[in-house]
Amino acid sequence: MDKNINKTNKSQTKSIKRPFKLFNLSHKIHKWLMLFIGVQFVIWSVTGAYMVFFDIDYIHGDSLVVAHQKAIKPENLTYATAKLFKKYPDAKNLSVGLLVDREVYRFKIAKQQFIIDASNGEKLSPLNKSTAIEVAKYHYAGKEDVLNAKLILANPEFGLSARHLPVWQVDFDHFSAPALFISANNGKVVSKRHRFWYIFDWMFRLHIMDYGDEENAGNWLLFFIAILAIFAVFSGLVLTYFKAIKPRLNTRKTLGKSKKKRPSSRSSVGGKS
Amino acid sequence: MIIWIRKIHKWASLLVGLQVIIWVVSGLVFNVIDHQKARGNTYRQALTPTVSLNVNLIPVEHLLNAYPNTIELNQTSILSQPYYLLTQQQGLYRHFSNNYHIVNAVTGQLTLVDKPLAIAIAKASYNGPGDITSATLITPPIADFIKHKNPSWQVNFNDKLATSVYVEQGSGRVIGHSNSDKRFADFFYMLHFMDYGSAGNFNTVQIKLFAFITLWLTLTGLIWTIHLLRKGNYRFKK
Repeated sequence: MDKNINKTNKSQTKSIKRPFKLFNLSHKIHKWLMLFIGVQFVIWSVTGAYMVFFDIDYIHGDSLVVAHQKAIKPENLTYATAKLFKKYPDAKNLSVGLLVDREVYRFKIAKQQFIIDASNGEKLSPLNKSTAIEVAKYHYAGKEDVLNAKLILANPEFGLSARHLPVWQVDFDHFSAPALFISANNGKVVSKRHRFWYIFDWMFRLHIMDYGDEENAGNWLLFFIAILAIFAVFSGLVLTYFKAIKPRLNTRKTLGKSKKKRPSSRSSVGGKS
Repeated sequence: MIIWIRKIHKWASLLVGLQVIIWVVSGLVFNVIDHQKARGNTYRQALTPTVSLNVNLIPVEHLLNAYPNTIELNQTSILSQPYYLLTQQQGLYRHFSNNYHIVNAVTGQLTLVDKPLAIAIAKASYNGPGDITSATLITPPIADFIKHKNPSWQVNFNDKLATSVYVEQGSGRVIGHSNSDKRFADFFYMLHFMDYGSAGNFNTVQIKLFAFITLWLTLTGLIWTIHLLRKGNYRFKK
Protein backbone atom coordinates (compact mmCIF):
# COMPACT_ATOMS: atom_id res chain seq x y z
CA MET A 1 0.00 0.00 0.00
CA ASP A 2 2.60 2.57 1.14
CA LYS A 3 4.80 1.82 -1.83
CA ASN A 4 1.97 2.46 -4.19
CA ILE A 5 1.20 5.79 -2.63
CA ASN A 6 4.85 6.86 -2.84
CA LYS A 7 5.00 5.86 -6.46
CA THR A 8 1.98 7.87 -7.39
CA ASN A 9 3.37 10.82 -5.45
CA LYS A 10 6.59 10.74 -7.39
CA SER A 11 4.89 10.42 -10.68
CA GLN A 12 2.57 13.28 -9.94
CA THR A 13 3.64 16.81 -10.62
CA LYS A 14 4.25 19.19 -7.74
CA SER A 15 1.27 21.30 -8.62
CA ILE A 16 -1.09 18.59 -7.24
CA LYS A 17 -1.87 19.58 -3.69
CA ARG A 18 -1.71 17.39 -0.59
CA PRO A 19 -5.47 16.95 -0.11
CA PHE A 20 -5.61 14.91 -3.29
CA LYS A 21 -3.58 12.19 -1.56
CA LEU A 22 -6.31 11.99 1.05
CA PHE A 23 -8.97 12.00 -1.63
CA ASN A 24 -7.34 9.20 -3.62
CA LEU A 25 -6.70 7.10 -0.56
CA SER A 26 -10.29 7.55 0.65
CA HIS A 27 -11.57 6.75 -2.80
CA LYS A 28 -9.60 3.51 -2.90
CA ILE A 29 -10.62 2.48 0.60
CA HIS A 30 -14.27 3.28 0.01
CA LYS A 31 -14.43 1.56 -3.35
CA TRP A 32 -12.69 -1.63 -2.25
CA LEU A 33 -14.17 -1.99 1.22
CA MET A 34 -17.67 -1.45 -0.07
CA LEU A 35 -17.14 -4.15 -2.69
CA PHE A 36 -16.83 -6.61 0.17
CA ILE A 37 -19.04 -5.20 2.91
CA GLY A 38 -21.38 -2.97 0.95
CA VAL A 39 -24.02 -5.67 0.89
CA GLN A 40 -24.10 -5.55 4.68
CA PHE A 41 -24.82 -1.82 4.46
CA VAL A 42 -27.78 -2.62 2.23
CA ILE A 43 -28.93 -5.20 4.78
CA TRP A 44 -28.44 -2.76 7.65
CA SER A 45 -30.43 -0.04 5.94
CA VAL A 46 -33.26 -2.29 4.77
CA THR A 47 -33.66 -4.09 8.11
CA GLY A 48 -33.17 -0.86 10.03
CA ALA A 49 -35.83 0.85 7.92
CA TYR A 50 -38.26 -2.00 8.58
CA MET A 51 -37.68 -1.71 12.31
CA VAL A 52 -38.14 2.05 12.49
CA PHE A 53 -41.07 2.31 10.05
CA PHE A 54 -43.24 -0.22 11.87
CA ASP A 55 -44.46 1.06 15.20
CA ILE A 56 -42.81 -1.04 17.90
CA ASP A 57 -46.03 -1.27 19.94
CA TYR A 58 -47.78 -2.68 16.87
CA ILE A 59 -44.93 -5.16 16.41
CA HIS A 60 -45.34 -6.22 20.05
CA GLY A 61 -49.01 -6.88 19.33
CA ASP A 62 -50.25 -4.27 21.80
CA SER A 63 -53.06 -3.38 19.43
CA LEU A 64 -54.21 -7.01 19.31
CA VAL A 65 -55.50 -6.99 22.86
CA VAL A 66 -57.80 -4.89 25.02
CA ALA A 67 -56.75 -3.98 28.55
CA HIS A 68 -60.10 -4.63 30.25
CA GLN A 69 -60.85 -2.57 33.34
CA LYS A 70 -63.73 -4.63 34.67
CA ALA A 71 -63.90 -4.59 38.47
CA ILE A 72 -64.38 -7.59 40.74
CA LYS A 73 -67.86 -7.88 42.23
CA PRO A 74 -67.26 -8.94 45.84
CA GLU A 75 -70.79 -10.35 46.16
CA ASN A 76 -69.84 -13.05 43.64
CA LEU A 77 -67.19 -14.50 45.95
CA THR A 78 -69.64 -17.00 47.37
CA TYR A 79 -66.98 -19.66 47.79
CA ALA A 80 -65.23 -18.26 50.86
CA THR A 81 -61.46 -18.09 50.99
CA ALA A 82 -61.67 -19.87 54.37
CA LYS A 83 -62.88 -22.95 52.51
CA LEU A 84 -60.12 -22.50 49.97
CA PHE A 85 -57.50 -22.44 52.76
CA LYS A 86 -58.78 -25.73 54.05
CA LYS A 87 -58.83 -27.45 50.70
CA TYR A 88 -55.45 -26.13 49.49
CA PRO A 89 -53.35 -25.61 52.62
CA ASP A 90 -50.08 -25.31 50.65
CA ALA A 91 -51.33 -22.58 48.35
CA LYS A 92 -49.21 -19.46 47.98
CA ASN A 93 -49.58 -16.03 46.36
CA LEU A 94 -53.36 -15.93 46.28
CA SER A 95 -54.92 -13.57 43.80
CA VAL A 96 -58.50 -12.60 43.08
CA GLY A 97 -59.41 -11.57 39.58
CA LEU A 98 -61.60 -12.29 36.62
CA LEU A 99 -61.62 -14.97 33.98
CA VAL A 100 -63.69 -13.27 31.27
CA ASP A 101 -66.82 -12.56 33.33
CA ARG A 102 -66.46 -14.72 36.40
CA GLU A 103 -64.56 -14.08 39.61
CA VAL A 104 -61.73 -16.54 40.17
CA TYR A 105 -59.03 -17.32 42.70
CA ARG A 106 -55.55 -17.92 41.36
CA PHE A 107 -52.72 -19.35 43.45
CA LYS A 108 -49.58 -21.42 43.32
CA ILE A 109 -48.68 -24.73 44.90
CA ALA A 110 -44.96 -25.22 44.51
CA LYS A 111 -44.55 -24.00 40.90
CA GLN A 112 -47.95 -25.14 39.68
CA GLN A 113 -50.63 -22.49 39.15
CA PHE A 114 -54.34 -23.06 39.74
CA ILE A 115 -57.60 -21.30 38.94
CA ILE A 116 -60.67 -21.89 41.09
CA ASP A 117 -64.11 -20.49 40.38
CA ALA A 118 -64.74 -18.05 43.25
CA SER A 119 -68.49 -18.66 43.18
CA ASN A 120 -68.48 -22.42 43.70
CA GLY A 121 -64.90 -23.64 44.19
CA GLU A 122 -64.84 -25.51 40.89
CA LYS A 123 -61.32 -26.11 39.58
CA LEU A 124 -60.95 -24.49 36.14
CA SER A 125 -57.31 -25.22 35.45
CA PRO A 126 -55.88 -26.52 33.26
CA LEU A 127 -58.13 -24.62 30.88
CA ASN A 128 -60.06 -26.68 28.35
CA LYS A 129 -60.19 -25.73 24.71
CA SER A 130 -63.53 -23.94 24.72
CA THR A 131 -62.59 -21.84 27.78
CA ALA A 132 -59.24 -20.97 26.21
CA ILE A 133 -61.01 -19.81 23.06
CA GLU A 134 -63.50 -17.84 25.13
CA VAL A 135 -60.65 -16.11 26.99
CA ALA A 136 -58.78 -15.37 23.77
CA LYS A 137 -61.89 -13.90 22.11
CA TYR A 138 -62.55 -11.74 25.18
CA HIS A 139 -59.08 -10.20 25.04
CA TYR A 140 -58.74 -10.01 21.24
CA ALA A 141 -59.24 -6.47 19.98
CA GLY A 142 -60.30 -7.47 16.47
CA LYS A 143 -63.58 -8.86 15.23
CA GLU A 144 -62.22 -11.82 13.29
CA ASP A 145 -63.14 -15.40 14.02
CA VAL A 146 -60.98 -17.97 15.71
CA LEU A 147 -59.28 -20.23 13.17
CA ASN A 148 -58.06 -22.89 15.55
CA ALA A 149 -56.65 -23.49 19.00
CA LYS A 150 -53.92 -25.88 20.00
CA LEU A 151 -52.40 -26.80 23.34
CA ILE A 152 -48.63 -26.52 23.53
CA LEU A 153 -47.19 -28.71 26.26
CA ALA A 154 -43.50 -28.88 25.39
CA ASN A 155 -40.91 -27.59 22.92
CA PRO A 156 -42.39 -24.12 22.41
CA GLU A 157 -41.74 -22.61 19.01
CA PHE A 158 -39.35 -19.72 18.69
CA GLY A 159 -40.50 -16.58 20.50
CA LEU A 160 -42.48 -18.30 23.21
CA SER A 161 -40.89 -18.71 26.63
CA ALA A 162 -40.93 -22.20 28.12
CA ARG A 163 -42.01 -20.77 31.47
CA HIS A 164 -45.45 -20.07 29.98
CA LEU A 165 -46.14 -23.73 29.27
CA PRO A 166 -48.61 -25.33 29.08
CA VAL A 167 -50.24 -22.74 26.86
CA TRP A 168 -53.12 -22.52 24.40
CA GLN A 169 -52.29 -20.94 21.06
CA VAL A 170 -55.44 -19.40 19.62
CA ASP A 171 -55.15 -18.23 16.00
CA PHE A 172 -57.40 -15.57 14.48
CA ASP A 173 -58.50 -15.19 10.90
CA HIS A 174 -56.60 -12.10 9.74
CA PHE A 175 -53.91 -11.56 7.11
CA SER A 176 -51.33 -10.71 9.78
CA ALA A 177 -51.94 -14.18 11.29
CA PRO A 178 -52.45 -12.99 14.87
CA ALA A 179 -52.30 -15.48 17.72
CA LEU A 180 -52.95 -15.05 21.42
CA PHE A 181 -51.28 -17.41 23.85
CA ILE A 182 -53.40 -18.21 26.90
CA SER A 183 -51.76 -19.89 29.86
CA ALA A 184 -53.62 -23.13 30.56
CA ASN A 185 -52.78 -22.80 34.25
CA ASN A 186 -53.69 -19.20 35.03
CA GLY A 187 -55.91 -18.20 32.10
CA LYS A 188 -53.98 -15.05 31.31
CA VAL A 189 -52.76 -13.78 27.95
CA VAL A 190 -49.06 -14.55 28.29
CA SER A 191 -48.01 -13.68 24.76
CA LYS A 192 -49.31 -12.26 21.51
CA ARG A 193 -47.73 -12.66 18.13
CA HIS A 194 -48.40 -11.88 14.51
CA ARG A 195 -46.61 -12.17 11.18
CA PHE A 196 -44.92 -8.79 11.46
CA TRP A 197 -43.36 -9.73 14.79
CA TYR A 198 -41.71 -12.77 13.26
CA ILE A 199 -40.50 -10.68 10.32
CA PHE A 200 -39.22 -8.07 12.76
CA ASP A 201 -37.29 -10.75 14.57
CA TRP A 202 -35.63 -11.85 11.34
CA MET A 203 -34.83 -8.27 10.52
CA PHE A 204 -33.22 -7.81 13.91
CA ARG A 205 -31.11 -10.93 13.50
CA LEU A 206 -29.91 -9.81 10.10
CA HIS A 207 -29.24 -6.36 11.50
CA ILE A 208 -26.94 -7.67 14.24
CA MET A 209 -25.57 -10.40 11.95
CA ASP A 210 -26.71 -13.06 14.34
CA TYR A 211 -26.57 -16.19 12.25
CA GLY A 212 -26.37 -18.42 15.29
CA ASP A 213 -28.71 -17.97 18.23
CA GLU A 214 -26.96 -15.54 20.50
CA GLU A 215 -29.83 -13.04 20.54
CA ASN A 216 -27.55 -10.12 21.23
CA ALA A 217 -25.13 -8.00 19.29
CA GLY A 218 -21.99 -9.59 20.72
CA ASN A 219 -20.57 -11.73 17.93
CA TRP A 220 -17.22 -11.76 16.15
CA LEU A 221 -18.64 -11.49 12.63
CA LEU A 222 -20.38 -8.25 13.53
CA PHE A 223 -17.23 -7.03 15.27
CA PHE A 224 -15.00 -7.41 12.19
CA ILE A 225 -17.57 -6.08 9.76
CA ALA A 226 -18.27 -3.09 12.02
CA ILE A 227 -14.56 -2.27 12.29
CA LEU A 228 -14.24 -2.34 8.49
CA ALA A 229 -17.49 -0.40 8.24
CA ILE A 230 -16.01 2.45 10.26
CA PHE A 231 -13.21 2.82 7.71
CA ALA A 232 -15.64 2.46 4.83
CA VAL A 233 -17.96 5.14 6.18
CA PHE A 234 -15.19 7.48 7.23
CA SER A 235 -13.55 7.31 3.80
CA GLY A 236 -17.00 7.92 2.33
CA LEU A 237 -17.38 11.03 4.46
CA VAL A 238 -14.03 12.32 3.17
CA LEU A 239 -15.29 11.82 -0.39
CA THR A 240 -18.50 13.64 0.49
CA TYR A 241 -16.43 16.52 1.79
CA PHE A 242 -14.37 16.75 -1.40
CA LYS A 243 -17.29 16.19 -3.76
CA ALA A 244 -20.16 18.00 -2.10
CA ILE A 245 -18.85 20.49 0.44
CA LYS A 246 -15.46 21.73 -0.72
CA PRO A 247 -16.43 22.79 -4.25
CA ARG A 248 -19.12 25.01 -2.79
CA LEU A 249 -16.76 26.50 -0.22
CA ASN A 250 -14.33 27.28 -3.02
CA THR A 251 -16.92 28.93 -5.23
CA ARG A 252 -18.10 30.98 -2.31
CA LYS A 253 -14.54 32.08 -1.62
CA THR A 254 -13.82 33.01 -5.18
CA LEU A 255 -17.15 34.77 -5.42
CA GLY A 256 -16.33 36.75 -2.28
CA LYS A 257 -12.89 37.65 -3.58
CA SER A 258 -14.12 38.65 -6.94
CA LYS A 259 -16.76 40.85 -5.36
CA LYS A 260 -14.18 42.64 -3.26
CA LYS A 261 -11.80 43.08 -6.13
CA ARG A 262 -14.30 44.16 -8.65
CA PRO A 263 -17.19 45.89 -6.95
CA SER A 264 -18.48 47.11 -10.24
CA SER A 265 -18.49 43.64 -11.84
CA ARG A 266 -22.28 43.50 -11.77
CA SER A 267 -22.71 46.47 -13.93
CA SER A 268 -20.27 45.12 -16.42
CA VAL A 269 -21.97 41.74 -16.82
CA GLY A 270 -22.22 40.83 -20.41
CA GLY A 271 -19.31 43.02 -21.33
CA LYS A 272 -16.29 40.74 -21.42
CA SER A 273 -17.81 37.35 -20.81
CA MET B 1 -28.60 6.74 -15.47
CA ILE B 2 -25.37 6.27 -13.57
CA ILE B 3 -25.03 10.03 -13.33
CA TRP B 4 -28.21 10.14 -11.33
CA ILE B 5 -27.06 7.26 -9.17
CA ARG B 6 -23.87 9.17 -8.38
CA LYS B 7 -25.75 12.37 -7.69
CA ILE B 8 -28.22 10.70 -5.34
CA HIS B 9 -25.37 8.91 -3.59
CA LYS B 10 -23.44 12.13 -3.12
CA TRP B 11 -26.31 14.20 -1.78
CA ALA B 12 -27.74 11.42 0.38
CA SER B 13 -24.31 10.97 1.93
CA LEU B 14 -24.17 14.67 2.68
CA LEU B 15 -27.53 14.52 4.43
CA VAL B 16 -27.07 11.38 6.52
CA GLY B 17 -23.32 10.74 6.49
CA LEU B 18 -22.61 11.89 10.02
CA GLN B 19 -25.50 9.83 11.38
CA VAL B 20 -24.23 6.79 9.46
CA ILE B 21 -20.87 7.04 11.23
CA ILE B 22 -22.74 7.42 14.54
CA TRP B 23 -24.77 4.29 13.69
CA VAL B 24 -21.68 2.25 12.90
CA VAL B 25 -19.71 3.41 15.95
CA SER B 26 -22.62 2.94 18.38
CA GLY B 27 -23.35 -0.42 16.77
CA LEU B 28 -19.77 -1.43 17.44
CA VAL B 29 -20.19 -0.27 21.04
CA PHE B 30 -23.17 -2.64 21.47
CA ASN B 31 -21.01 -5.38 20.02
CA VAL B 32 -18.18 -4.96 22.50
CA ILE B 33 -19.90 -3.93 25.75
CA ASP B 34 -20.71 -6.41 28.47
CA HIS B 35 -24.48 -6.76 28.16
CA GLN B 36 -24.71 -8.27 31.61
CA LYS B 37 -23.15 -5.17 33.15
CA ALA B 38 -25.18 -2.84 30.94
CA ARG B 39 -28.38 -4.04 32.60
CA GLY B 40 -27.44 -2.05 35.68
CA ASN B 41 -28.02 -4.98 38.02
CA THR B 42 -24.48 -5.35 39.36
CA TYR B 43 -25.61 -4.78 42.96
CA ARG B 44 -29.13 -6.15 42.68
CA GLN B 45 -30.45 -9.04 44.65
CA ALA B 46 -33.79 -10.68 44.08
CA LEU B 47 -36.77 -10.10 46.33
CA THR B 48 -39.17 -13.02 46.14
CA PRO B 49 -42.66 -12.11 47.23
CA THR B 50 -44.01 -15.45 48.36
CA VAL B 51 -46.90 -15.41 50.75
CA SER B 52 -48.66 -18.43 52.12
CA LEU B 53 -52.36 -18.44 52.59
CA ASN B 54 -52.72 -17.56 56.19
CA VAL B 55 -55.83 -17.54 58.34
CA ASN B 56 -54.45 -14.61 60.30
CA LEU B 57 -54.64 -12.36 57.27
CA ILE B 58 -57.64 -10.16 56.67
CA PRO B 59 -60.00 -12.06 54.37
CA VAL B 60 -59.93 -10.79 50.82
CA GLU B 61 -63.75 -10.54 50.77
CA HIS B 62 -63.57 -7.72 53.35
CA LEU B 63 -60.99 -5.84 51.39
CA LEU B 64 -62.86 -6.07 48.13
CA ASN B 65 -65.92 -4.62 49.82
CA ALA B 66 -63.83 -1.85 51.34
CA TYR B 67 -62.13 -1.03 48.04
CA PRO B 68 -64.62 -1.29 45.20
CA ASN B 69 -63.43 -0.96 41.60
CA THR B 70 -60.62 -3.39 42.23
CA ILE B 71 -59.66 -5.15 39.02
CA GLU B 72 -57.29 -7.61 40.61
CA LEU B 73 -56.14 -8.36 44.12
CA ASN B 74 -52.76 -9.96 44.73
CA GLN B 75 -51.19 -11.23 47.88
CA THR B 76 -47.66 -9.96 48.04
CA SER B 77 -44.97 -9.18 50.54
CA ILE B 78 -43.05 -6.04 51.21
CA LEU B 79 -39.95 -6.49 53.35
CA SER B 80 -41.22 -9.95 54.33
CA GLN B 81 -44.51 -8.53 55.61
CA PRO B 82 -47.74 -9.71 53.96
CA TYR B 83 -49.62 -7.11 51.94
CA TYR B 84 -52.45 -7.00 49.46
CA LEU B 85 -51.87 -5.20 46.20
CA LEU B 86 -55.16 -3.94 44.75
CA THR B 87 -55.04 -2.95 41.11
CA GLN B 88 -57.47 -0.09 40.47
CA GLN B 89 -56.43 0.75 36.96
CA GLN B 90 -54.60 -1.72 34.81
CA GLY B 91 -52.29 -0.94 31.91
CA LEU B 92 -51.31 -3.52 29.34
CA TYR B 93 -47.87 -3.73 30.93
CA ARG B 94 -46.61 -2.93 34.38
CA HIS B 95 -44.57 0.02 33.10
CA PHE B 96 -47.71 1.53 31.53
CA SER B 97 -49.90 3.77 33.65
CA ASN B 98 -51.30 1.71 36.53
CA ASN B 99 -53.09 2.55 39.75
CA TYR B 100 -52.79 0.57 42.96
CA HIS B 101 -53.67 0.46 46.62
CA ILE B 102 -51.39 -1.35 49.04
CA VAL B 103 -53.05 -2.69 52.16
CA ASN B 104 -51.30 -4.26 55.11
CA ALA B 105 -52.68 -7.81 55.16
CA VAL B 106 -52.53 -8.06 58.94
CA THR B 107 -53.73 -4.66 60.13
CA GLY B 108 -55.79 -3.72 57.08
CA GLN B 109 -54.11 -0.35 56.99
CA LEU B 110 -53.81 1.44 53.66
CA THR B 111 -50.07 1.85 53.12
CA LEU B 112 -48.32 4.53 51.15
CA VAL B 113 -44.82 4.01 49.88
CA ASP B 114 -43.27 7.00 51.60
CA LYS B 115 -39.61 7.91 51.74
CA PRO B 116 -38.56 5.64 54.64
CA LEU B 117 -40.40 2.65 53.14
CA ALA B 118 -38.94 3.29 49.67
CA ILE B 119 -35.46 3.49 51.19
CA ALA B 120 -36.00 0.23 53.07
CA ILE B 121 -37.23 -1.55 49.93
CA ALA B 122 -34.32 -0.19 47.91
CA LYS B 123 -31.85 -1.34 50.57
CA ALA B 124 -33.35 -4.83 50.59
CA SER B 125 -32.81 -5.14 46.85
CA TYR B 126 -29.22 -3.90 47.05
CA ASN B 127 -26.12 -5.88 47.97
CA GLY B 128 -23.36 -3.43 47.04
CA PRO B 129 -20.92 -1.54 49.27
CA GLY B 130 -22.55 1.89 48.98
CA ASP B 131 -24.63 3.95 51.37
CA ILE B 132 -27.76 5.87 50.53
CA THR B 133 -27.12 9.51 49.71
CA SER B 134 -30.59 10.65 48.70
CA ALA B 135 -34.11 9.56 47.89
CA THR B 136 -36.44 11.57 45.67
CA LEU B 137 -39.90 10.97 44.30
CA ILE B 138 -39.79 11.36 40.53
CA THR B 139 -42.72 11.78 38.18
CA PRO B 140 -42.15 10.36 34.70
CA PRO B 141 -40.22 10.71 32.48
CA ILE B 142 -37.51 8.95 34.46
CA ALA B 143 -34.22 9.35 32.60
CA ASP B 144 -32.93 5.91 33.64
CA PHE B 145 -36.20 4.15 32.72
CA ILE B 146 -37.72 6.22 29.95
CA LYS B 147 -40.54 3.79 29.21
CA HIS B 148 -41.79 3.73 32.78
CA LYS B 149 -44.95 5.79 33.23
CA ASN B 150 -45.59 5.65 36.97
CA PRO B 151 -44.23 7.93 39.72
CA SER B 152 -41.28 6.29 41.43
CA TRP B 153 -38.78 6.82 44.19
CA GLN B 154 -35.20 7.21 43.08
CA VAL B 155 -32.85 6.01 45.81
CA ASN B 156 -29.21 6.86 45.16
CA PHE B 157 -26.20 4.96 46.48
CA ASN B 158 -22.63 6.27 46.67
CA ASP B 159 -20.86 3.20 45.29
CA LYS B 160 -18.36 3.65 42.47
CA LEU B 161 -21.02 2.80 39.84
CA ALA B 162 -23.40 5.50 41.18
CA THR B 163 -26.22 2.99 41.50
CA SER B 164 -29.79 4.28 41.59
CA VAL B 165 -32.64 2.02 42.69
CA TYR B 166 -36.16 2.82 41.50
CA VAL B 167 -39.15 1.86 43.61
CA GLU B 168 -42.61 2.34 42.14
CA GLN B 169 -44.65 4.54 44.47
CA GLY B 170 -47.97 2.87 43.76
CA SER B 171 -46.96 -0.75 44.30
CA GLY B 172 -43.65 -0.72 46.20
CA ARG B 173 -42.20 -2.84 43.39
CA VAL B 174 -38.53 -2.39 42.49
CA ILE B 175 -38.63 -1.30 38.86
CA GLY B 176 -34.93 -1.75 38.47
CA HIS B 177 -31.43 -0.65 39.21
CA SER B 178 -29.43 1.71 37.10
CA ASN B 179 -25.75 2.59 37.23
CA SER B 180 -22.98 4.16 35.19
CA ASP B 181 -22.62 1.02 33.03
CA LYS B 182 -26.30 1.12 32.08
CA ARG B 183 -26.23 4.87 31.52
CA PHE B 184 -23.22 4.46 29.23
CA ALA B 185 -25.08 1.88 27.13
CA ASP B 186 -28.29 3.95 27.21
CA PHE B 187 -26.39 6.93 25.82
CA PHE B 188 -25.32 4.90 22.80
CA TYR B 189 -28.82 3.49 22.35
CA MET B 190 -30.06 7.07 22.31
CA LEU B 191 -27.55 7.87 19.57
CA HIS B 192 -28.25 4.71 17.59
CA PHE B 193 -32.02 5.25 17.74
CA MET B 194 -31.65 9.01 17.15
CA ASP B 195 -33.85 9.37 20.18
CA TYR B 196 -32.71 12.91 20.82
CA GLY B 197 -36.05 13.89 22.30
CA SER B 198 -36.09 10.92 24.72
CA ALA B 199 -39.23 9.36 23.30
CA GLY B 200 -37.95 6.01 24.56
CA ASN B 201 -38.35 4.26 21.21
CA PHE B 202 -36.98 4.16 17.68
CA ASN B 203 -40.11 5.26 15.82
CA THR B 204 -39.36 8.97 15.81
CA VAL B 205 -39.88 11.15 12.74
CA GLN B 206 -36.20 11.98 12.44
CA ILE B 207 -35.04 8.37 12.33
CA LYS B 208 -37.73 7.44 9.79
CA LEU B 209 -36.59 10.28 7.56
CA PHE B 210 -32.93 9.34 7.94
CA ALA B 211 -33.67 5.65 7.39
CA PHE B 212 -35.47 6.55 4.17
CA ILE B 213 -32.56 8.63 2.88
CA THR B 214 -30.11 5.94 3.96
CA LEU B 215 -32.00 3.41 1.87
CA TRP B 216 -31.35 5.61 -1.16
CA LEU B 217 -27.72 5.96 -0.13
CA THR B 218 -27.05 2.22 0.17
CA LEU B 219 -29.08 1.17 -2.85
CA THR B 220 -27.39 3.71 -5.11
CA GLY B 221 -24.07 2.55 -3.65
CA LEU B 222 -24.97 -1.02 -4.53
CA ILE B 223 -25.92 -0.12 -8.10
CA TRP B 224 -22.78 1.96 -8.47
CA THR B 225 -20.58 -0.90 -7.25
CA ILE B 226 -22.24 -3.33 -9.68
CA HIS B 227 -21.76 -0.77 -12.42
CA LEU B 228 -18.05 -0.46 -11.61
CA LEU B 229 -17.69 -4.23 -11.54
CA ARG B 230 -19.30 -4.63 -14.93
CA LYS B 231 -17.16 -1.87 -16.38
CA GLY B 232 -14.12 -3.71 -15.09
CA ASN B 233 -13.11 -0.90 -12.73
CA TYR B 234 -12.12 -3.27 -9.96
CA ARG B 235 -8.53 -4.18 -10.83
CA PHE B 236 -5.54 -4.60 -8.55
CA LYS B 237 -3.12 -2.79 -10.84
CA LYS B 238 -3.62 0.22 -12.99
